[in-house]
Amino acid sequence: MTVDIDTSVNGLLNGNRRILAKTITLIESSLSSHQSLAQAILDRLLPHTGKAVRLGITGVPGVGKSSFIESLGMLLVGKGHRVAVLAVDPSSTRSGGSILADKTRMERLCADSRAFIRPSPSSGTLGGVARKTRETMLVCEAAGFDVIIVETVGVGQSETTVSLMVDFFLVLMLAGAGDELQGIKKGVLELADAVAINKADGDNIEKARRAQRDYETALQLLRPASPNWSPPVLTCSARDLTGIEDIWSVVLKHRNIMTSSSELDQNRRSQSLSWMWSLVEEGLKDRFHHHPEVQHRLPQLLRQVESGMLSPTAAACQLLFLLDKA
Amino acid sequence: MTDHPQKQKWTDLATKQLKGKSPDTLDWMTPEGIRVKPLYTAEDLEGMEHVNTLPGIAPFVRGPMATMYSGRPWTIRQYAGFSTARESNEFYRKNLAAGQKGLSVAFDLATHRGYDSDHPRVVGDIGKAGVAVDSVEDMKILFDKIPLDEMSVSMTMNGAVLPILAGYIVAAEEQGVPQEKLTGTIQNDILKEYLTRNTYIYPPTPSMRIVSDIIGYCSKHMPKYNTVSISGYHMMEAGANSVLQTAFTLADGLEYVKAALATGMDIDVFAPRLSFFFGIGMNFFMDIAMLRAARFLWHELIKPFNPKNVQSLMLRTHCQTSGWSLTQQDPYNNIIRTTLECMSAVLGGTQSLHTNSFDEAVGLPTNFSARIARNTQILVQEESQVCHVVDPLGGSYYVEALTDGIISGARKIITEIQALGGMAKAIETGMPKLRIEESAARKQARIDQGLDVIVGVNKYKIEEKPLEDVREVTDAVRVEQVERLKELKAKRNAVEVQKALEHITRCAEGDGNLLEASILAIRARATVGEVSDAMEKVFGRFVATTQCISGVYASEYGNNTAVIDALRKRSQDFADKEGRRPRILMTKMGQDGHDRGVKVVATAYADLGFDVDISPMFQTPEETAKMAIENDVHLVGVSSLAAGHKTLVPQLIAALKAGGGDDIKVVVGGVIPPADYEFLFEAGAVGVFGPGTSIIDSANQTLNVLEKKHG
Ligand code: B12
Ligand SMILES: Nc1nc2c(ncn2[C@@H]2O[C@H](COP(=O)(O)OP(=O)(O)O)[C@@H](O)[C@H]2O)c(=O)[nH]1
Ligand SMILES: [Mg+2]
Repeated sequence: MTVDIDTSVNGLLNGNRRILAKTITLIESSLSSHQSLAQAILDRLLPHTGKAVRLGITGVPGVGKSSFIESLGMLLVGKGHRVAVLAVDPSSTRSGGSILADKTRMERLCADSRAFIRPSPSSGTLGGVARKTRETMLVCEAAGFDVIIVETVGVGQSETTVSLMVDFFLVLMLAGAGDELQGIKKGVLELADAVAINKADGDNIEKARRAQRDYETALQLLRPASPNWSPPVLTCSARDLTGIEDIWSVVLKHRNIMTSSSELDQNRRSQSLSWMWSLVEEGLKDRFHHHPEVQHRLPQLLRQVESGMLSPTAAACQLLFLLDKA
Repeated sequence: MTDHPQKQKWTDLATKQLKGKSPDTLDWMTPEGIRVKPLYTAEDLEGMEHVNTLPGIAPFVRGPMATMYSGRPWTIRQYAGFSTARESNEFYRKNLAAGQKGLSVAFDLATHRGYDSDHPRVVGDIGKAGVAVDSVEDMKILFDKIPLDEMSVSMTMNGAVLPILAGYIVAAEEQGVPQEKLTGTIQNDILKEYLTRNTYIYPPTPSMRIVSDIIGYCSKHMPKYNTVSISGYHMMEAGANSVLQTAFTLADGLEYVKAALATGMDIDVFAPRLSFFFGIGMNFFMDIAMLRAARFLWHELIKPFNPKNVQSLMLRTHCQTSGWSLTQQDPYNNIIRTTLECMSAVLGGTQSLHTNSFDEAVGLPTNFSARIARNTQILVQEESQVCHVVDPLGGSYYVEALTDGIISGARKIITEIQALGGMAKAIETGMPKLRIEESAARKQARIDQGLDVIVGVNKYKIEEKPLEDVREVTDAVRVEQVERLKELKAKRNAVEVQKALEHITRCAEGDGNLLEASILAIRARATVGEVSDAMEKVFGRFVATTQCISGVYASEYGNNTAVIDALRKRSQDFADKEGRRPRILMTKMGQDGHDRGVKVVATAYADLGFDVDISPMFQTPEETAKMAIENDVHLVGVSSLAAGHKTLVPQLIAALKAGGGDDIKVVVGGVIPPADYEFLFEAGAVGVFGPGTSIIDSANQTLNVLEKKHG
């Protein structure tokens, strides 16, 4: 891909959709030449980032995340916002390929010129997803999108990763058959700035109300992350468009409170730090695995540890020591 | 169970002929999961409930009528329609003169989806895949000089069923034929639209109300008219095997029965007016058995409602031979295939039949191919002497055993569906559609490996000599329809139309009969699109949820993974070089709802290591281009089966250019007549993959293009 940095930067700042898409491809690329280009572009864009509302949305597959984003997104563009949606799809098959079908649930939003939606395959490491999504978010901000929504599936670690890059983390839930809190990872609730019970429509409304009360009780038992904010529990229907407006009001209210208490800035600063540290860790690991000496010695050491001839501690020392050699 | 006295002797002989292998090694597991043995005997039928019954008597396994074709043969009913009402009317009248007995109208996709011909979303669809009907004026021309009190007319309409049925009623009325004299069938089977046919307009709940309103109106005013044609045909064509087809179709039927009962109707008022529609494929004996099994099961399912009228328990059906089984390659073979399928339908005891034309995989039938298709049935009916005996295969050990296999297989699935709360609920979960798509992906994998033979496609291939005579419908039809719409709107009483449309909207909000309201509006010259809109205001337009299977295509290769591995390696190599996997956006543009191909290709490409984006259905070229540009795919895969390609592909390429996506390549697949390849290449497409293309081949060619570009 031939890329001229000036053209890209200017294009992005002018909101050129094609250049935005291409820059995201550079960010997502596994080639280091692409990544350094992306970094060069990002450096220039950084002063133009940070102004958007960053909203993370998680929940189990099928809870209605994509449908919710369709409904919320249409509401927001109607209010004059420009909305970017980043959807991380974990549906990689054994082949390494994937099927990205999120946009089929965002039929109107993806046709709307005020919205930009980019689904990304998650192939590669989880750390990779974090870096890519974060940087993509920044590029979208520079391109003039003032609401960024990140959709992530609540399986594995991705929800923690995403919660560390957004201002507001919304957890979507379903009303089950009574045993509401079973099978839900406590950890996810701890990350939530709000919980919404989706599909509160049809015969499901009563069930959703009950689930709402159960989650309220559960959340009261958790210590809130901010002294100024206790995560509320709402109900909504992405299908019938009920409760969506209320959720947006909650997002704005949260933003006001966090801004006046300076927590928004603090959060973003500490997110930057933790992002830096995760990059350092990722880089170290990467360097370790690609180090020629390590690659050379590893198989033998593995065998020795496995057969009990060498202690794990001794092997680790030997391997790490290799990094010190130039 | 006692064995046949000669059984041991036979086993010995068979083992000897198999050079020591057991005859069990000849067993064949069908895609339905039925084990077929090389030999059946009377012992196989022991304890089977359905065996040894008589035709015309419950449970009707051997036929709904006592005398069947020995009394009166099945109705030859060819499905047809294209271009304008005038052209279709001419075609119908010629066919009737040449021996066809009933009419069956195919509407174009704009009409199906409730859009008038001047709507911006349908520029590539007018008159292409059926006849364009915008108002009762078109309807009157369609049936001109066809006496509707004598002719039984079947209409395949589900989405825009209200304005179309209303149009038919008003056209008859203006011919001087009162509605109670009308005979025929309206498909009106909305559930299978969400499953496979994709010409829905509104969400399921209001659509089910429309079905009930029609059943209610007709049972009062049109006693001779079939109000629903519960269709399995489309499921088969989308990939369902015969057990799935039977189960899902009967489960749909049951849902309509429950919906009608819920409005307070008596079962005997409407159940006798329910008819069925099955698809007949190339597994000759299987689908004979399927029709017999379906009749048995329908009786079993309806019995608990305690009907007094025995007709309520009787499954009567139309059948169509499989279009999917027909090939673009070596096309005259299709006449032979259709003959076999025709025989299956007849031996299974169908009440009416459509046989496909040999140019099925190229375009709509020409006058010549339509004649051969019709004559296929006429020959069987008038030359082959098969009509003299009722259910001639009754008592065949094999066919009876297969019948039993389908009964128990389908019964199991129907029970599963009942446990989910019925077919409407089951469809919401996505289960039936995914099962059909899985079945389609497996079939494709077996064909691509040559395990399932298709002559001319994966065996005994010949040098291609494409058909020269192909029906093409041009854009002139759209222009003419738009003109006629203008005229209509200028002449009619606008105030009266407005009032009638508002009345429909109020009915939709409340509970008046929507067919009654639609008749008033259509009589006042409201258009199909306006009537549809009047309800859309209240009901909204349904958006399908696209779910995808993965891993199925590759898994059907079993241990035989060399080709799969080779392609996965190619995609990986591409990723190593380019920084990401080959990424393709699979899209459907216009109102073309054929999604079997797009789904099969998508899931297979993902299995081969591609990143595959899928667009929503019914995109405009601009919408597809926007998505391709934002997702930054390497290429767009257009699946086009309803003849919109010459309009939509150039528009897509232009839209890509306009949005800065000139580097995004376009490949086209689906029903593309060979004569159009050059046109598409000239427009800028870099690959065209017609029916029968092996997915492995198209993936390799696609990678060739991408590698050359990035080289
Ligand atoms: C199956 C079928 C149906 C099913 C569709 C089920 C479904 N959910 O898909 C049902 C029964 C519902 C149906 C209905 C109709 N059908 Co139909 N249908 C067919 C049929 C028989 C086979 C199509 C098929 O699925 N083949 C199997 C798939 C796997 O093949 P494929 O899509 O061609 O894909 C292959 C290649 O092309 C390639 N490929 C395809 N796409 C792509 C894309 C890329 C990127 C790549 C790389 C490769 C690739 O790979 C695949 C594997 O080989 C064709 C005739 C035929 N034999 O082709 C008629 C046909 C397409 N139908 C036709 C018509 C008219 C209709 C109706 C509009 C009739 C009407 N008036 O009501 C309706 C409405 C449907 C709608 N909503 O659009 C006409 C279209 C006429 C024309 N083009 O001029 C055809 C050609 C039949 C005919 N000759 O009359 N149909
Ligand atoms: N009844 C109802 N169904 C919904 C709602 N939101 C989503 N769905 C359905 O739930 C399914 C999964 O939705 P999707 O948005 O793809 O979920 P995701 O996997 O979380 O992104 C789809 O069939 C939607 O139509 C809702 O609010 N009410
Ligand atoms: Mg989703």
